Amino acid sequence: MTRQGNVRQGNAQKGNAQQGKAWQGNAGAQAESSSPGVRLREAVEAMSGTVDRLSELSRKKYQNPYEALVWPESVEPEQDLFFSPEMTSLHGTVHAFPEDRPEFRRFAFQEAANFFSLNIHGEKALISGLAERMYRNDLLAISDYLHHFIDEENKHSVYFGGFCKRYAKLYRSRHVPFGAEADRTVSDFLFFAKALLFEEHADQYNVVQAKDDRLHGLARFINQAHHADEARHLVFNRAIVTALWETYAPGWTAATREDVRARIGQFFVTTWREYYNPDVYADCGFDDPWQVAEDAWCTPGQRAHRRRVSKKCLDFLLSSGVLEEEPADVF
Amino acid sequence: MSSELDELRSWVASKARDLPAEGLTDDLPLLEGRHLTSLHIPQLVLLLERLRKAPVDVEELNAGDFRDIATIGAKFLGTGPDLGHRRA
Repeated sequence: MTRQGNVRQGNAQKGNAQQGKAWQGNAGAQAESSSPGVRLREAVEAMSGTVDRLSELSRKKYQNPYEALVWPESVEPEQDLFFSPEMTSLHGTVHAFPEDRPEFRRFAFQEAANFFSLNIHGEKALISGLAERMYRNDLLAISDYLHHFIDEENKHSVYFGGFCKRYAKLYRSRHVPFGAEADRTVSDFLFFAKALLFEEHADQYNVVQAKDDRLHGLARFINQAHHADEARHLVFNRAIVTALWETYAPGWTAATREDVRARIGQFFVTTWREYYNPDVYADCGFDDPWQVAEDAWCTPGQRAHRRRVSKKCLDFLLSSGVLEEEPADVF
Repeated sequence: MSSELDELRSWVASKARDLPAEGLTDDLPLLEGRHLTSLHIPQLVLLLERLRKAPVDVEELNAGDFRDIATIGAKFLGTGPDLGHRRA
């Protein structure tokens, strides 16, 4: 999986170098040679080797979420650990609970519920956007894989929702759906770039927590099950983001490219802000949970944590030319 | 509420793009004028919750609730509707 991903990234980097030249001298001629839909169809068809391999793996690793896990009758949030201490949003801040106390384990449990909740909200938006694009003419070559993608996202939400509804609560999202893009090329690109960013960050948490033997087995299982599918999604996301960027960006004006880059910067901020949820802090007894969130966001250790977790995703976006510099207000 | 409103103005001024020559005013259309995008809303909601020290029910929101600073102030911070053309 990783090897395929690297190959794709390598090709993408080569493609971008060529693309950069096209922007300077040949963008107009290229834009006239075929419509964006035709060019996207060709780019997506070029992904078929990767997509076929991913589809085959999805079929081999097909899992029934109603049989793969036996849910415990109940859990003990103040006795067992459900979130890795170093990954909690108050780690290293003035508001951190002593880690040997039941209050800390309760907080870590609420952090797990928040992590699962933000995944549910992200996956809802992802499933909706993927479904909208299934069997579109210019995306026909990836439609078989989109069946797996949607199926796997739905299964993840069965796990996340099962945990939140049985033992905790579903934390709300502050995202709002209004403000659709007028330009379909921009909305396509931003949709998949947002999916990439959201999934790459969540996966970093999954990888750490799936291996953390301090955690309750249920928390490890859910993180592992999510990571097992996400590894394929990350390869797909990078391939489709590269294809869309190379197809669409040369035809965009400089102002549109600048706007797209600014929005990706905003994705970083909004994605990360959800990990610092005042509702969690309120449930753990803080009088001014919004100030706690603001304090935690600004703590140097948390900035460094965000930089570590974002590194792979940021490196990809910078090396592929999608971003030219780090986004502001995140690290 | 004026200090909360000032903090709101300051936040919007720090995020808004392509402001007109006269600068940010309380009646400048923020989303319609593409000075802010829907991606700014989660952060803005967090700010408003912090200023008013109470949650905002996001499921009940409309784009019109964030039309301009005067509308946001009236809707979420309980400020009067007569802020008019005050410059931020």
